[in-house]
Amino acid sequence: MFSISFVTIVLGMMLGVQFRTTSSAGDNVVPRDREQELALEKKNLVGDLYKLQVEISELSTKLEQAGIGQREADEALEKELDKIKRFAGLAPVSGPGVELVVKSRMEKAGLGAADVPIIADEQLLKMVNELYSAGSEAVAINGQRITAISEIRLAGNHINVNGTPLSAPYHISAIGDASALKSRLELKGSLVDILRESGISIEIEEKKEVAIPAYIGELYFEHAKPVKEKT
Amino acid sequence: MKRKNFYWSVALVSLVIGVILALQFRMTRDIQHNEAIRRTQELASQVDQLKKEHDVLQPQLTRMREQLEGLSTGPLASQMKAEMELATIFSGLTELTGRGVEVTLKDSNVSQKLTDNPNLYIVHDEDILKVVNELKAAGAEAIAINGQRLVAGTEISCSGPAVRINKKALVPPFVITAIGSPETMEGALKMRGGVAEYLQFFGIQFSVKKLEQLTIPAYSGSLKTDYIIEADADTALAQ
Repeated sequence: MFSISFVTIVLGMMLGVQFRTTSSAGDNVVPRDREQELALEKKNLVGDLYKLQVEISELSTKLEQAGIGQREADEALEKELDKIKRFAGLAPVSGPGVELVVKSRMEKAGLGAADVPIIADEQLLKMVNELYSAGSEAVAINGQRITAISEIRLAGNHINVNGTPLSAPYHISAIGDASALKSRLELKGSLVDILRESGISIEIEEKKEVAIPAYIGELYFEHAKPVKEKT
Repeated sequence: MKRKNFYWSVALVSLVIGVILALQFRMTRDIQHNEAIRRTQELASQVDQLKKEHDVLQPQLTRMREQLEGLSTGPLASQMKAEMELATIFSGLTELTGRGVEVTLKDSNVSQKLTDNPNLYIVHDEDILKVVNELKAAGAEAIAINGQRLVAGTEISCSGPAVRINKKALVPPFVITAIGSPETMEGALKMRGGVAEYLQFFGIQFSVKKLEQLTIPAYSGSLKTDYIIEADADTALAQ
C-alpha cells in the first residue's frame, strides 16, 4: 500500500509540474542572463560617467588657468589639444601593454609541400578588435597606428593598413593592462587559441613600456563637414 | 472488493497530494521569478537614468572646450584652433554631416531547416566588423552604428543576443551610416565576392542606400585613459 501511495504521489507531482510548465510557457519569465546583461551595462555606464566627470573637472581647471593670462590660456588649450590628439591617434603614446608577433609557422611534417598557413586580413582585423574589446587604449600594427577610420584589408599580395602595405611577420602593439590583455587574448577557444591550432605562431609578451607612433597619413576630409551649433 | 476500493482511494488521495505539492513548489519558484523581474526593471531604469546623465555631460564638455578655445588669443592661437578643428573631426568629437551611405543589416528571414545551425542566419559582431572595415577601405571619413560613433578605440564585440559597441549594447537591425563617396562605398560593399554577397548567402537582409546628406553624431564617451602615460607626464610638467 505504501508503495502504491508513493508511486502515485510521484506521478501526481509529475502531472503538476507538467501542468505548470505548460501554462507558464510564454509568461514573462526573465532569464537570468538579461539581468546580468543590464548589470554589466550599468557598471560600464557608471565607470564612463565617472571618467566624464573627471574630464569635466580637468577642463574646469584648464579654464581657470586660461583665465589668468594669455600665455596660460594658450598652454591650457595646447594641453587639451594634446589629449584629443592622443585619443585620436594623432600623437605618439606610450604605456604598459603587450606586443604580439604573428607569423606562419613552418610545418615540420610533410617535406616541402606542407601547407604554410597564411594570415588573413580578417584575422588581423579580428585580433585588433579583440584587443580593443579587452580594453586597449591604443593599437598599432607594424608601426601603423589604428585610428577611427583605419582599414585592415587585403590589397593585392599585402594587407593594407592606413593605405600602407604591410607584410608578415606582423608586430601588433597595444597599450593597456598588460596581464589582463594577455590572459584575455589567450582564453581557451579565443581567436589566438584557434590560430595557434591552425599553425600560426603568435607570441604575446607583456611589456612595462610599449611605444606607439602617431598616425602619419594626411588629414583631409572631402565630404564630412562639422555641423554648426545652433545657438 | 472492499479492500480494492480502499487501495483506489489511497491512490487517488496520494495523486492529489502529489499535484498539490508540485504546484506549491512551482508557485514559490514563480515568486522568485517575479522578484527577478522586479530587480531587472529596477536595473533597466537605473541604466536609463545613467544614459540621460551621459547625454548631459557630453555637450557640457564640448561647450567647455569651445570656451577654452575662445580664451586663447596668443600668437599660437589660430594655428592651434585650426589643429583643434581637424583633431576633433578625426577623433569623433564633433557631429558631422555630408554625403554617404546607410547600410542596414537584419537577421535572416529565410525559413530555416531544422538541421541548420540558426547561428548562421543572424547578424554577428564579425559581420558588422567586416562591413565597417570595407567602408573604411573605401574611404569613409566618419562612421556610426545605431548612433554610436566609431572612434579609434571602438570595439565591436558579441554580448549574448546583442552587439556591444563603445560598451553600449545594441540590437538588430543594425544601421551603419558612413560619410564619404556614396558610389565608392556602395561599389566596395557590392563587388563580386564582397561582403554583401557573403552576407546574402546566409540570407542576412542587407541593403545600401546612397544619401546626398546624412549626419553622424559625436562620440558620447570619455577620452580619459588609464594606461597611456604621456597624460600624466604633461600634467606633471604643468605643475
